[in-house]
Amino acid sequence: MQTEQGEHEPSSLLWGLDPVLSSFAKLYVKDILRMRESSQIPDVYFYKCHPLFKVDVLGTVVYKREREDFFCYGVDDGTGVINCLCWKDEKWRENTDAVNSGATLQVSNKGGFNPVEQLKKLKLAQKLSAQLEIGDLLRVRGSVKTSREQREIMACSYYKVNDPVMEVQISWMMEVLHLYRDFYDKPFLFTKSVQHLDTAEGDDLLRSLSVLRRASRLLMSFIREKGLGSFRPKDVQHLLMPLLSCAPSCSTTQQESTVAQSSSKQVHHLFRDVIKALQDEGLVFRKVISQDEVYQVTEQDKELRRVTKDIVREDSGREKYAEKGCHVLHILSCVRQTYSRNVSKSVIEMVLRCLERDSEIFSTIDQNHYKYISVTD
Amino acid sequence: MLPEPGVFHFPWEISSVQEGAAVRTYGRLRDLIASIRNPEVSEAVLSSQHLSVQYDITVHTAFVEPFLPSLHSHYIVLGDVERTEGDGVMVRARVLNCVDGINLALLQQAIVEQRRYLQERDEHASHLKIY
Repeated sequence: MQTEQGEHEPSSLLWGLDPVLSSFAKLYVKDILRMRESSQIPDVYFYKCHPLFKVDVLGTVVYKREREDFFCYGVDDGTGVINCLCWKDEKWRENTDAVNSGATLQVSNKGGFNPVEQLKKLKLAQKLSAQLEIGDLLRVRGSVKTSREQREIMACSYYKVNDPVMEVQISWMMEVLHLYRDFYDKPFLFTKSVQHLDTAEGDDLLRSLSVLRRASRLLMSFIREKGLGSFRPKDVQHLLMPLLSCAPSCSTTQQESTVAQSSSKQVHHLFRDVIKALQDEGLVFRKVISQDEVYQVTEQDKELRRVTKDIVREDSGREKYAEKGCHVLHILSCVRQTYSRNVSKSVIEMVLRCLERDSEIFSTIDQNHYKYISVTD
Repeated sequence: MLPEPGVFHFPWEISSVQEGAAVRTYGRLRDLIASIRNPEVSEAVLSSQHLSVQYDITVHTAFVEPFLPSLHSHYIVLGDVERTEGDGVMVRARVLNCVDGINLALLQQAIVEQRRYLQERDEHASHLKIY
């Protein structure tokens, strides 16, 4: 059935902006059966103008067929019936066997908490919740497919719902209704969301972002220029003053005294944001957290560089790391033990990048594993 | 291949449903009687009250046997409507679940709201089609 033919299909480049695309849409089965398929990309569908490919359905099983590796359940939610292909877990057989043999070994271990026993129970519960009979309630999430001109749901997860007093079903009915009224039936304005950044609403955000970026750049270029190894906020904070004059002009209507006060407060806030951003990037860090606020500049920290290099050199020789190299997290924990507890992952990554740039170490299988370049190699 | 969807109906609406339509409705299990035509199969009677009138629905339980009846409990039935000779309608149950303890008022509200929404949408769509 073709519906909503009048709706214009937006370009697939913009689809990702619509949050409905990346969520499991809780649609009525009736709508899943009727929604039109995209003309640009197969297996993407449109409810009104919302692109989607994953759905979330709750309904009564009214039809069941078992195949070798999947169940086919007909799910009825009161508006329509749709086939759901629910794959059997390949590991069932292996797992149950493994659990069984494990259990026989542990038979003597009576009383107390027996994890093997519990695991067995868990597996059993899992298996039971995946086998349904006609009349059971099924919750299924999966992608919509059209095969032989019939819509069906290829389940990525599904389970039997115990709903003895219909509580789940009633609340589902209510929830879906709200979702329709508040989201699915409201058009998503693709073009508007793109233009959003140019409008006044996005302006403030954009400006504060650019101020932050400029402030970070300013501070880092000052540090590099002077070759600072460490600094205290009160010594460099004043550098950011000039940036605030071009920030939102709240000073025009205010008294001069409060202007001075608020601008120093603003500088302070801006500085906090900048420091946080630099810390997140791993450019600066605090070696010791104390009253005296001192920030180390990662690039300039010779001691940190040496410690990191030594760790990579020593551990590259160990059998455990000989093949793949040392993992970043391993290096991080060693550095934390020997150098400073406050070193973050991004700081270590920064140091490792510097060492790699200077050909002291090299990355092996990915950007998380490093080995030392030994001269004898 | 797949059956028709069982659309929610209130017990007092069943008598006006078309023959062959699939419905979902509810009621208290009032009685179990042996079928006249086939004594081995029983028929359940689900009853409910609406505006001080009692509505009884006969439910054919052949497809849901073995069925352990619990008298005076609330049941939800999903099945197909069949006309019987003389005295009205019967629901041939495909699903018959005991839901004792159900909040009927809430279920009714959910049904009414869902219906209203779907109706509004259909009206809106047909409105668009005209123009």
